Amino acid sequence: MASETPGLQASSSADETHFANPAEVECAKILDFYGLQWKYEPRSFVLETDEEGRVIEAFTPDFYLPEQDLYLEVTVMKQSLVTRKNRKIRKLREKYPEIKIKLFTRRDFDRLAHKYKLNLAS
Amino acid sequence: MGAQIAADYAGREPVLVTVLKGAFIFLADLSRSIPIAHELDFVVLAAYDGALGGQTKIRLIKDLDLSITGRDVLIVENVIDTGLTLHYLVKTFALRRPREIAACTLLDRPYRRLVDDLPLRYVGFTVPDDFFVGYGFDLEGRFRGLPDMRIVH
Repeated sequence: MASETPGLQASSSADETHFANPAEVECAKILDFYGLQWKYEPRSFVLETDEEGRVIEAFTPDFYLPEQDLYLEVTVMKQSLVTRKNRKIRKLREKYPEIKIKLFTRRDFDRLAHKYKLNLAS
Repeated sequence: MGAQIAADYAGREPVLVTVLKGAFIFLADLSRSIPIAHELDFVVLAAYDGALGGQTKIRLIKDLDLSITGRDVLIVENVIDTGLTLHYLVKTFALRRPREIAACTLLDRPYRRLVDDLPLRYVGFTVPDDFFVGYGFDLEGRFRGLPDMRIVH
């Protein structure tokens, strides 16, 4: 069962949102640059509960793009180190097959940086 | 691809629009392979430098020379990854009330897409997540003129 977290930021401006790390800031700026609406961490998904129904694993994707109905998880870690995030995403897809989610990786940043000479956080 | 485009657009004289600079060589070959009347036009997009406090919204710094109102527009890209650029172009051109907007690309990486509702009608090759140079693709502004595409390791 998914749980809404309405108390979190639901902004569409990179300047008005408190982000967890520089990669998320850059991702928000890129989305702003392209004029895409986004929300920051608007929803948490329960991935696993114990026998009493207590949540033992949950996942909160970084961004939601309402126009695309797409969740986005951002990482600038090396490809070899994204296994943990991939595992969570795989689990989310299994439990919530109707949810669209993608991982925005270091390579995606690099591609955009190369194409438009972006100045991105490493 | 040129023959298919010619068949689909027979009698319609489309405008082929390309974002400089990456797709200009592909456009040159594509245009010469389309045996029906068509026009060419080009746009240039502002580079993002939001991290430096500068340009923070995508915009055209070179707009179309032609009016596309009532015309068939075919956007020509060298590669589509996230689809963000094409999404912006489609939204921007749609405001000018063309008859139709479609897109073609030499290379496609659909598994990297962030925007799915794109009018992508013609795809040359779906490629793996490699970095290409040559045939218009550059590395720091170099190697665009190589006649073939090569993978950079």
